[in-house]
Amino acid sequence: MGGALFLLTAAALASGRPPRGFYALFTVITAVLAMVGSALAWGRVTDPARGAYSAIGDAIMVDGFSVFFGIVITVAIALAALLADDYLRREGLDGPELYVLMLLSGTGGLVMAMANDLIVVFLGLETLSIALYVMAGFQLRRLESQESAIKYFVLGSFSSAFLLYGIALVYGATGSTNFSRIADFLADNLLAANGLLLAGFALLLVGLGFKVAAVPFHVWTPDVYQGAPTPVTAFLASASKAAGFAALLRVFLSTFDLYRLDWRPIMWVLAVLTLVVGSFLAVVQTDVKRMLAYSSISHAGFVLVGAEAASDRGLAGALFYLLAYTFMVVGSFGVATLVGRRGDADHSLPAYRGLSQRRPLLALAFTVFLLAQAGVPLTSGFLAKFYVIGAAVEAESYALALIAMISAVVSAFVYLRITVAMYMTVEEGDDAAAALPFVRVPPAAALSLGIALVFTVVVGLVPSPVVDFARDALPVLVSAGP
Amino acid sequence: MIAQNIAFAILALVATLAALRVVTTRNVVHAALYLVVVLASVGALYVLLAAEFVAAVQILIYIGAIVVLFLFGIMLTRATIGVESDLDNDQRWIAAITGLFLLGVLTFVLVESFGDDQLPGLAGVSREELTAQRGTGAVGDAIFSTYLVPFEVISVLLLAALVGAIVLARRD
Repeated sequence: MGGALFLLTAAALASGRPPRGFYALFTVITAVLAMVGSALAWGRVTDPARGAYSAIGDAIMVDGFSVFFGIVITVAIALAALLADDYLRREGLDGPELYVLMLLSGTGGLVMAMANDLIVVFLGLETLSIALYVMAGFQLRRLESQESAIKYFVLGSFSSAFLLYGIALVYGATGSTNFSRIADFLADNLLAANGLLLAGFALLLVGLGFKVAAVPFHVWTPDVYQGAPTPVTAFLASASKAAGFAALLRVFLSTFDLYRLDWRPIMWVLAVLTLVVGSFLAVVQTDVKRMLAYSSISHAGFVLVGAEAASDRGLAGALFYLLAYTFMVVGSFGVATLVGRRGDADHSLPAYRGLSQRRPLLALAFTVFLLAQAGVPLTSGFLAKFYVIGAAVEAESYALALIAMISAVVSAFVYLRITVAMYMTVEEGDDAAAALPFVRVPPAAALSLGIALVFTVVVGLVPSPVVDFARDALPVLVSAGP
Repeated sequence: MIAQNIAFAILALVATLAALRVVTTRNVVHAALYLVVVLASVGALYVLLAAEFVAAVQILIYIGAIVVLFLFGIMLTRATIGVESDLDNDQRWIAAITGLFLLGVLTFVLVESFGDDQLPGLAGVSREELTAQRGTGAVGDAIFSTYLVPFEVISVLLLAALVGAIVLARRD
């Protein structure tokens, strides 16, 4: 599964000077192949006779969980590559580099999702991040893009250091970096003084919390999301976040499950802060990309609500949320890519005025994505929110469930604001609106948006296959063989 | 054991003196060259501990790559290569205090946790057994068995960094 990506990335580097759109097509094909590989692996791991297995010196784990995230990440790559195709041509940046970096970054994400060892998690995270730093700064002529790359790089390096320190402390406390062995050790031994382990937890949480943009490790998010080229932002908000959560969920929910009494309160505080800050700050933004950035923070909060429940149901809810969210967020940033015009010049709210008249279908698609993010019934977003909050109630975190619902309402206001801007009737003789340029919708981006749209609506109507998928995708700990 | 102790004393002395010179010399290039002496002495200490792989890596990476990088950096950025008087700044006392504090902490920790303990004697351990357990071969085995995935992922990581660096450096 990961091997496909490795190999084809190298091929992408070596290929000569193919026709336009080849790179994007190539990236999409690679991602789809990896997806097919994942689907085959899914049949292997859900077969009760064989089940999940760990491979190659116990360093990676192939189970439903890693296959699930493999599919989420490859979907994100494919959709983002489709968006990037036209964007790069529009910006005069066409070339294989962005796709190569995207694939490398996705490889890092896959490694994180499959990792069965803290060191592998760290290396996957670094691969993911280093490629992303460059992708964020891809538009060297735009100052915001450079700024976002530097910010992301500096803060990201710090968070990597935190993560590494956390790994060192956990190793010091348990004597292993391997998840199965850590879990075995913790099950067999009661630590008299577990300060070292708890400090390790905290640092791991900081490092991974940064990747998923949980408050208070979120400060980079709005600036980076705003400054990065919009297709990159879509990738950043979907694949990078999913990979971060993959590591977070596996580390805490399966490896440190025995210590849930210790980490649940921390997770609770993180979830509450993330929900509240994300949704309330989104309200005061005027730039659509920043709004979406803050809303992506609050979505991270919802996933944390599922994680906080520390139950199979919460985990399944979190997984479902991430899959649904990936489609929604790529779709939303996809629309922002198209409306943003050359040089990502204008992402302010007025740029969206009267979009319903200029581009009715685009406006409709954006509305569906926004409503799904708000959690309106008949979309995947509603069910996603429903499942995580249901899990929180089941785990008797009533206060958290309540806060999650309130912040859902608050962030709905943001989405409605954008929707109103799009459908606000433009009066005759309104020069400002008339002067807005025609929004061109290239076929590749339209395909990407269409897929995201269909998924969002269909899963909203017929959720059961995806729900079952998420339910079966729980991480498994396989004890180390002899 | 005595021969090892004498060798250790000489190497430690050389390393310490060279380290002092690194921070006191008035010539940046000399400082970098003294750093080579420090790092080489530390590498020799690893050899004394029968960790020849670590010693080789120390020499290759620190002296071969990092110090050379320093020298290139000096060459490319500084106009004057020679004696300079403004190399010190006001923070040197803070730095000295921090350094001494770190020394104190490390000494305390080592003495506190190991005290008069001695390394397990090597008498009765055959040379073959020792190399099989701790030698370069063992490290190689570990890299290509237990740590195969991290090893391969590192190569992807470096590839990503390389591609990224080229992308950033190529366009102006």
